[in-house]
Amino acid sequence: MSSDFKIYNATELWQIETSLPSIPTFSQNLDKILGNDGIQLGSLTELLGLSGSGKTQLCLQLCASVQIPKILGGLNSEALYVDTNANFTVERFKEILFSSLAKCQEIMGSSILIKEEDALKKFHYVKAFGLENFCAFLYQLPNFLSDKPHIKLIIIDSIAFPFKEGISLKQRTGLLFRLMADLQKIALNKQIAVVLTNEMTTRIGLSTGAIVGSLGDTWSHRCNMRLLLTAPEPLKNLRLAVILKSNVTAERVAKFQITSDGIRDIQ
Amino acid sequence: MNALERKEHVYLTESILKTLKQNRIITLFDFLQEEAEKLSTLTKLTLPQVLEIRQEIFKKHSAHLINGATLFINSLTCKKYIPTHITSLDEVLGGGIPVGLITEVCGLAGCGKSQLCMQLAINSVKESDDSVLYVDTKGDFSAVRIQKILDANGVSYKDMALIMLKIRVVHIWNMEDLITLLENIKNGILKIEKLSLIIVDSLPCLMLQHFGDENKIGLTFLNRVVNNSRYISKEFQTGFIYVNIQTRWIDQDVSEPEEIESSCTVKDITYNEKRNRCLGKYWQTIPALLLVIEKCSDYDIENNYENCVMIKVIVTRHTNPLLAENCTLKLNALGVT
Repeated sequence: MSSDFKIYNATELWQIETSLPSIPTFSQNLDKILGNDGIQLGSLTELLGLSGSGKTQLCLQLCASVQIPKILGGLNSEALYVDTNANFTVERFKEILFSSLAKCQEIMGSSILIKEEDALKKFHYVKAFGLENFCAFLYQLPNFLSDKPHIKLIIIDSIAFPFKEGISLKQRTGLLFRLMADLQKIALNKQIAVVLTNEMTTRIGLSTGAIVGSLGDTWSHRCNMRLLLTAPEPLKNLRLAVILKSNVTAERVAKFQITSDGIRDIQ
Repeated sequence: MNALERKEHVYLTESILKTLKQNRIITLFDFLQEEAEKLSTLTKLTLPQVLEIRQEIFKKHSAHLINGATLFINSLTCKKYIPTHITSLDEVLGGGIPVGLITEVCGLAGCGKSQLCMQLAINSVKESDDSVLYVDTKGDFSAVRIQKILDANGVSYKDMALIMLKIRVVHIWNMEDLITLLENIKNGILKIEKLSLIIVDSLPCLMLQHFGDENKIGLTFLNRVVNNSRYISKEFQTGFIYVNIQTRWIDQDVSEPEEIESSCTVKDITYNEKRNRCLGKYWQTIPALLLVIEKCSDYDIENNYENCVMIKVIVTRHTNPLLAENCTLKLNALGVT
């Protein structure tokens, strides 16, 4: 019976947590505040922000970053992109992917060539519109992942969108927590990073400011890392990222920008 | 239900047991329920003998009677607290996390609940041979963070390994598994040497999975979890910490202006933010000790070079819910101090 529960000690867990590199964001400032030099594998990361703050852009960048070759300390793995709000465009992704790979190529020299066609094959895209579609996909996710063992990053853009209609508030919380428990179980077992985006909503009268992440206060406990993205000056290409919650690092602010190549530091 | 066996009484010979079995009297309960006269004719024992057997069974299987003096001595000799080794917190708690009772740590998201729990895990094993079980329901336990805290405190690699070996972590994803885990500990199927503290981070993460169910199955699960936890903490002399979450909701108070004559009535709307502990009404009175954590907001995030957050811990006991004591702790790279 006791074999039902794998009881680790902290040393074993430390070995698991540090055995694989994190997924870098291509902005050193951002990597630094995230703690382990990027997005930690095996945990849930939530990106919050108003529209236009760069959530989707950061997601696309991560899908490219996950392909960094092993020689450069990368994962050389694949990404799964679950698109629920139709924000994804393949042209923009190609732009970011190819310039990220070009940068890798530049560092490695011409010894190893990365084919653009192969790179695109390492990206898996799922269009999940509507709640039924979304839940059905997550239900068969374990099978999907055993078919494609190289996936190390799952993006859900956005988590709030499927829950906008067709479900009562109470059922939404229950369903959301069940889905996340199953998702995180796989993520921890297979050491996959899960990145969710979430929208902002207004709750008038809160002492901490009226604009908060959607899905309510209970949801805000669920993710291991919450990162708030803002564009403080809309005309300038300046983005700020604040850690709202983290189990590894302190709350700090990082500056970055979105260029045609993807997420970069401000020079 | 226990089967009726020979060891229960000398009068119960193999042949008698066989006869009883043929008459569908198999368990102790069957034996107690059957009419004494019928048993007497079946077993060919005299009526007083049957009654004697019954008395014996009752005596053997009833709950034990302990007299007050023994209880008192037991309470003097066993440990009452697990010190947190955070001086100001220990002072407010009156010694530490109570043994044999349920303690709740509660607060809003990102206020430092998990950080405090990880620190308690470290502190309770650091200076002793005890071990701690961390039940992780949402992947918030970070061994990297534990290692960083120990490293920042200048602990040698050898001691670091020794400390981390004593922190046991188990991932639980639903209420059924949590109950099975607790039952395994209770029944001794799962043995953890020198277990002094069990931390469940967090319970609502499991309970909220049953939120919105019509059948109230969540409440049944919660009840079983509470009963098993109480048994374990008493029997194995452990502290038991449950992490709960807080949610906020807003009351709108519309205060009507006194003078109604004025042509344009301006209504003053005041908003009252209220905080609510999750897990429902049943849970509210379960923990014997409640630690509510609040993040102090009076620090500047831009110029905070030390990367230090102050957290306020408000302690309430079920013996006097109106009396709240508090202390302020510092959370930074060194952990919670």
